[in-house]
Amino acid sequence: MAQTDTTSRKLNEVTIIATSRLNNKTITSAQQINSTDFIKLNALNVADAVRNFAGVNVKDYGGIGGLKTISVRSLGSTHTAVLLDGVQINDAQNGQIDLSKFVLTNVSQVALFNGQPDDLLQPARAFAAGSVLSVKSIVPNLSIIKPYHVLAGVKGGSFGLVNPYFQWQQRLNASWSLVANANYTYANGRYKYKVEGDGSDTLAVRRNGDVKALQADAAVYWHKSDSSDLTVRFNYYNSKRGLPGAVIFYNPYTTERLENEDAFVQAKYSRTFKNSLRILLSSKVSQLKTRYLDPQFLNTQGYLDQHYRQREAYQSAAIAYQLLPGWEVSYAVDASYIKMDADIYNYAYPGRFTLLNVLASKLTKGNWMLQGNLLQTNIGERVKQGKPMASQSILKPTLMASFKPFDHTGLLIRAFYKDIFRAPTLDELYFYAILPRTIKPEDVKQYNLGATYQVKTDNLLQDIELTSDAYYNHVANKILAIPNKNPAIYSFSNIGKVDIKGIDVTLKIQTHQISNWSLSAAASYTFQKAIDVSDESSSTYLQQIPYTPKHTLALNAGVNCKAFSIYVNHLLSSHRYYTGNNLPEYLVPGYGVTDASAIYHFKAGAMPAQLSVEANNLSNKNYSIIRSYPMPGRSYRLSFQITI
Amino acid sequence: MKHFNFKNLFTAITLVAALSACKKDRIVEPIDIPAERAGVYILNQGNINANNSTLTYFNYATQSSTSDIFSAVNGTKLGDTGNDIKIYGSKMYIVVNVSSTIEVVDPKTTKSIKRISMLNGTAARQPRYIVFNKNKAFISSYDGTVAVLDTASLAIEKYITVGRNPEQMVISNNKLYVANSGGLDFGNPDKTVSVINLSTLTETKKVEVVANPTSIGADSYGHVYVLSNGDYKSIAAGLTIINNATDAVTLTSADLAGGYGSSIVNNGDYIYYISASNGILVYNTKTQKVEKENFITDNTAITSPFNIAYDDINQQLFVMDAKNYATNGQLFAFGKDGKLVKGYPITTGITPGAVVFVNK
Repeated sequence: MAQTDTTSRKLNEVTIIATSRLNNKTITSAQQINSTDFIKLNALNVADAVRNFAGVNVKDYGGIGGLKTISVRSLGSTHTAVLLDGVQINDAQNGQIDLSKFVLTNVSQVALFNGQPDDLLQPARAFAAGSVLSVKSIVPNLSIIKPYHVLAGVKGGSFGLVNPYFQWQQRLNASWSLVANANYTYANGRYKYKVEGDGSDTLAVRRNGDVKALQADAAVYWHKSDSSDLTVRFNYYNSKRGLPGAVIFYNPYTTERLENEDAFVQAKYSRTFKNSLRILLSSKVSQLKTRYLDPQFLNTQGYLDQHYRQREAYQSAAIAYQLLPGWEVSYAVDASYIKMDADIYNYAYPGRFTLLNVLASKLTKGNWMLQGNLLQTNIGERVKQGKPMASQSILKPTLMASFKPFDHTGLLIRAFYKDIFRAPTLDELYFYAILPRTIKPEDVKQYNLGATYQVKTDNLLQDIELTSDAYYNHVANKILAIPNKNPAIYSFSNIGKVDIKGIDVTLKIQTHQISNWSLSAAASYTFQKAIDVSDESSSTYLQQIPYTPKHTLALNAGVNCKAFSIYVNHLLSSHRYYTGNNLPEYLVPGYGVTDASAIYHFKAGAMPAQLSVEANNLSNKNYSIIRSYPMPGRSYRLSFQITI
Repeated sequence: MKHFNFKNLFTAITLVAALSACKKDRIVEPIDIPAERAGVYILNQGNINANNSTLTYFNYATQSSTSDIFSAVNGTKLGDTGNDIKIYGSKMYIVVNVSSTIEVVDPKTTKSIKRISMLNGTAARQPRYIVFNKNKAFISSYDGTVAVLDTASLAIEKYITVGRNPEQMVISNNKLYVANSGGLDFGNPDKTVSVINLSTLTETKKVEVVANPTSIGADSYGHVYVLSNGDYKSIAAGLTIINNATDAVTLTSADLAGGYGSSIVNNGDYIYYISASNGILVYNTKTQKVEKENFITDNTAITSPFNIAYDDINQQLFVMDAKNYATNGQLFAFGKDGKLVKGYPITTGITPGAVVFVNK
């Protein structure tokens, strides 16, 4: 009975500095945000930043501690791999990463790649997902003259938020440097919201949404003569939070708690040899611990206290070599072993071994670029009791091409085809698996055709970038929950098929500075028709899948004058349905929400400092992204940061 | 000449919209109109923690259904997981599990008379089922109690402590039998039926049955039938039969196991319940033998039979189909011959779990 979907949350954090600008004219569609832009987007965490990307649907359960996951092009969160400095943050238990846990104070860049990044030299895992969300840490950039860099700041505001953070960068000698970060978040999480439907006419207060989270990380960097790099990073995350849960009429009391403790060490070594040979070695060991507590559960003890632990060891080796001018090939192999423990009834204690092999090739000839790879995946599992998933051996191809039709204009045509899958998560296979479950991997075929156009002028409009992509995705063997009369016999199976047609359009404009004034603006528009094509006899046949708006628009505009900047964001979503029946009673209304921020840079003595104020949901709109999980009304955040 | 006629386009769109709107809520074939019945209320559970339980009303005279009639009439919603609905006297009682309320409603108008909170301080008792005897309502709750509610004053007079996570109840031989599931203790379910003396309103004994009992029913030959789910591991699901005179167990059978939470419906010399293989089992209460593996004779396909009810006036068996538990379900009615009644199925809300018939 009444098992709890406790498992969808855990994660880690990351560190920061300014990095290079990503070339938008990539062979697969890519969107990015750099650290200097986070403030423009009123972004506190990675989820706040990525909601401005085209093709992205952030599922936000509301509030500081609310789960925030990303679905790219309607494929669902399990099809997006989140990479931290090129190494995956993996959650085999539920396959999705809570992006609200990535604070941005130590992040230099967040980028989303449909398909995959187009670099040939990557771990095999970077080739093995429907899309890749790449988060890059701040890398020290210090000199012998100023061998250290210290940054301290504090954010505070609505929801009782207090968020001090600290960063220390130190140059040790010509080859070695280090970065350390600490970030502590406290919030009582309370906010007012309007309840519709229980007959009340006053505002209710969202309770049990308090969060305490500590994120700490340290990394050492070794660099030698422009050809060898080594990074060793340690991350630690600890949080305790209340789960405010869905709004339940007439029963406003929620007491469930969630605790996470995650730690990992990852190392990366890369080297470029004179003969163009490049190698990349990546290693990681991690442990994710989750505790779920329901202090009012009506069993004999009078509470439910569950502990989950995932441990993973991961090793990747990749090699790339230029066979001929314009033709590079690469090979990557990744091996990982994951062990999952949980003190829940009849648990299988699964261990999963995964071996990935990728062979890739990139050909550049004139205005053409052709790239392709074959991904071969082997998965084997063992369980202590019950039935393990059958061993899998799967071969999947990806093909990409780009073409520049004219030498002297910034127009690029691009296309890709990617055939990919995701393995069932350990929860889908074993979480309260009362009856044995037979689940095959979920298959996705992605087709994309797009164009990018960039103009740089000496006119007022200094820089214009326009990208547009049309895509078709077909999901087969979609893993769906199969409920039972008996809630204890909940199961999963491959019963779904989804057809997704969409269009992503992005536009960025930047003006020249005119007597200290400059303007920037960006827009991302997404159209998605994602229909259920599983079963002709079902009432959901050809209906839009749940929580998928047809239209999403993100608008950002900013004006900068000397040390002072103001930014405004507007996010617009058309209505969605929370079930597969597109009926008025299941409609979740569309919304438009405006955020604004102002930043002032100044010197505190000799030290650069920055003061900013942000206001979210300016019009105090009452809305929700996930039904029964109300979003906060107008809220404020004040930040101060100083650099030593 | 590129004048596009917006007016014609607008007319066409309006017409299409109007035509499609007209089609809604009316079923194509007429349903046989029963003599005394006014209609049927269908309680849709919705999904746990989705706060979307609704009441659908199907009006026999107009042959149309109104979805979510409770909020249409009252302006408030039922809340989370409506689990049981019954009419006693002039009032209809809706047991809402996660919201922990009993909605008392006028069945003729669907107007709410009172919403009784089943919160114990800040803790939800989680009410499950309701039965009636001599102007008292008995409400089982997951917190291990049976509440005694006066149907005139609508005040709860007493909480009788029973076993763990009690589910269905039945009154037989002037005793209240309560199935104690212990379903929230994974791997260690309860395995008792509490027997409550209806005069003293106290538990007199506990009868041991197959582990994890949830469904309970009775016949006119002195049998109390209990369907249990086992522990999903080493203990199999099964049927236990109790003698209502001696409270002794007369039969335990794994072969006669039923579907979780199915009502056990008594009709003359038969009881019906959803079998483990998702048929509607017909059991002869006189001969104590299985009469038929399935009541349905015309191969009507029901995706996920969730519960059944019997209308003894019209002699029709109703089957609630939960489909995939996330989208609208259907309600089927079968005649004595086991064939689908003309005009059915009708569309319900999400997870239709109980129905109640209303007289004119």
